[in-house]
Amino acid sequence: MNHIIATEKLNLFYNDFHALKDINMKMRANTVTALIGPSGCGKSTYLRLFNRMNDLIDGVKITGDVRVEGKDIYEKNTDVVDLRRKVGMVFQKPNPFPKTIFENVAYGLRVNGINDNGFIKDKVEQSLVQSALWDEVKDKMNKSAFELSGGQQQRLCIARALAIEPSIILMDEPASALDPISTAKIEELIYELKQNYTIVIVTHNMQQAARVSDHTAFFYLGELIEYGETKEIFTNPKDKKTQNYITGRFG
Amino acid sequence: MTHLDKESLQLKTDLIGMWNLVISQLNKTHEALINFDKDLAHEVVANEKRVNGHELKIDNDCENLFALFNPVAIDLRFTLAVLKINSNLERTGDMADGIGRFILNGNGPFDEELLKVTQVIHMYDEASSMLVDILMAFEHENTKIARSIFKRDEILNQININSIQVVADYIRTHPDNIEQALFVLSIIRKLERVGDHCKNIAEEIIFYIEAKVLKHASKKQKAE
Amino acid sequence: MDWPKKSERNKNLKQIIAFTSFKLLSYAVVMILFLILAQIVFKGFSVISWEFLTAMPEDGMTKGGIFPAIVGTFYLVLGSMIFAFPIGVLSAIYINEYTKDSFYKRFIKLMTNSLAGIPSIVFGLFGMTLFVNTLGFGDSILAGSLTLGLLTLPVVIRTTEEALKSVDDSFRHGGYALGATKLQTIRRVVLPIAFPNIITGLILSIGRVSGETAPILFTVAAYFLPKLPSGIFDQVMALPYHLYVISTSGTNVAESQPIAYGTALVLIMIVLLVNIAANTLRRYLGKKVKMN
Repeated sequence: MNHIIATEKLNLFYNDFHALKDINMKMRANTVTALIGPSGCGKSTYLRLFNRMNDLIDGVKITGDVRVEGKDIYEKNTDVVDLRRKVGMVFQKPNPFPKTIFENVAYGLRVNGINDNGFIKDKVEQSLVQSALWDEVKDKMNKSAFELSGGQQQRLCIARALAIEPSIILMDEPASALDPISTAKIEELIYELKQNYTIVIVTHNMQQAARVSDHTAFFYLGELIEYGETKEIFTNPKDKKTQNYITGRFG
Repeated sequence: MTHLDKESLQLKTDLIGMWNLVISQLNKTHEALINFDKDLAHEVVANEKRVNGHELKIDNDCENLFALFNPVAIDLRFTLAVLKINSNLERTGDMADGIGRFILNGNGPFDEELLKVTQVIHMYDEASSMLVDILMAFEHENTKIARSIFKRDEILNQININSIQVVADYIRTHPDNIEQALFVLSIIRKLERVGDHCKNIAEEIIFYIEAKVLKHASKKQKAE
Repeated sequence: MDWPKKSERNKNLKQIIAFTSFKLLSYAVVMILFLILAQIVFKGFSVISWEFLTAMPEDGMTKGGIFPAIVGTFYLVLGSMIFAFPIGVLSAIYINEYTKDSFYKRFIKLMTNSLAGIPSIVFGLFGMTLFVNTLGFGDSILAGSLTLGLLTLPVVIRTTEEALKSVDDSFRHGGYALGATKLQTIRRVVLPIAFPNIITGLILSIGRVSGETAPILFTVAAYFLPKLPSGIFDQVMALPYHLYVISTSGTNVAESQPIAYGTALVLIMIVLLVNIAANTLRRYLGKKVKMN
């Protein structure tokens, strides 16, 4: 079985702060991996390694290997823009651009140099269908994205990420700002998207991790405490710390 | 269909598989009893392992469903019901296994007259048709069928109560066949237990669909 | 256990006193503004006419109109904006979006803030030395516009920077995450969001420039020039300077007083209109930017 994402002996420092310690982890294609742990445990930082969003922060230093589709993405000649096309991202707060619904989804195509309007139109529709938003927005494609509800905006952001055909989608607490119904919709969507994408999701919500993921990784103080099948983690965690965290006894 | 719906459906399918296996186990012992077919009885005993395997798998699936989906309301009642129906089915399977072992240990075809006077065959028919009907109630979420089980269990109970006198009478007239008579009495006891399991399963089905707890309720209450 | 008694009445009284005094003070501010406006309107309104706005000054500026001053101010504002807007906006983008080094960033900020604090007469002096004499532009629209542009540059930089800063980082990250380059993200995401606020800042700086007197004193303004400029190297009259001239050193200060008030009224109206335009435009663009 080949692994689409792998890190080996990965260490990350924010200036002097050792944020991630010797993380070895491999993720398979077409699975959902949940990263859980208390705030500040390094799970979001770990997520942002895979599309090099950590580059935007000053003073970040990395040692070890981060491989995406077999390639070390921290090599000198890595094209970051190209990497981010392959590794999409959905953020905690829905952040649609101040454009129309159509243009939001088309944005990624346009910045990647696609001008064929017919192609863009088809791709926008396809992405919206995939993100289960098409039926709700097909009659108002030229309305502002801000007119949508929070949950719809988040699904729009997912459609926006899907449009450029990534193979991996990173999700940083994608439902934490949404109401329970919208959250359930996003979770169903993640389950559907697994067919075609590899998904890594950071979540504070243990039940969410349990519901959507195939594998779960528990981070604590920058260390990977336990990583395994979600079923195993939630029925029979090997580590005492994992057990205490998922049962709500600390963290 | 949501992810949870899919998982629940899978669980339901697995439980129905278990159910059919147990029904076939019981039917095989029925046949083995009539024909004194030791091979068939042997098959039943061997198959008991499969029943146990099924039980463990469904238990495990229920555990995962609880852990991963935190089901509530009907989903919660469904999962709880599956868990309990599962253990009732496993015990029913044990009954079939026990009967199979009696047949294996027997030293010749059972006396037709003994089978007739004790009504054990009738009991067999009733028990396995109850098991089939209650499966139907589960599959189609039909509480009416489930409720009908309570009355039918009384038939089994009556046969069971009568059996002591019947077997005693038989032994008096056939003092040379005491062993077989006691075997049949044990089988009757076991079939009576099968009826009780069906009743428990019916209660679980009603609990899951209507959220009513019928355990330890009076007969009148159950009929409502 | 009983709670200790609270002095309810005392508390309410304090509230009322505080509230009333704040209210009165804010009314006072409005009153002062109103008084200034009232005086100017009252005294200046009678001289305002179509002729006043479109005619040349006559009789040693005691009669006639202020047309050349209006035109002059218009040219100066236009010239200074052509100079200050692109430079200001681009530097603000550079400072806010590109500079990572916090020391360097702070240094630039300190400098632009200091620039904003320099008295405008010093700008006038500097403009005269550099543009009028050293570069040999003479007293001209060009020299005046450049001087006014320098004066308004820090304001443009500051307002643009604030507008860019108010764009949430999540928009930038959203852009980068889709494989957009920094330039694409700035051009297609950040600037459209910041645009209404940038424009408002720019328009407000127009208001400021149109009222400045000191910087144009030595660089462009003509005491009396009853003809329109024909090129950027010509001198012009300008409203604020004209106002200064006719109320302090005109041929007949007392006689030209109504014209002075008329000029003041025109100046105030221009600034007021610019402010209203800024607000309307921001509201309009604020809606539009979400739409396109």
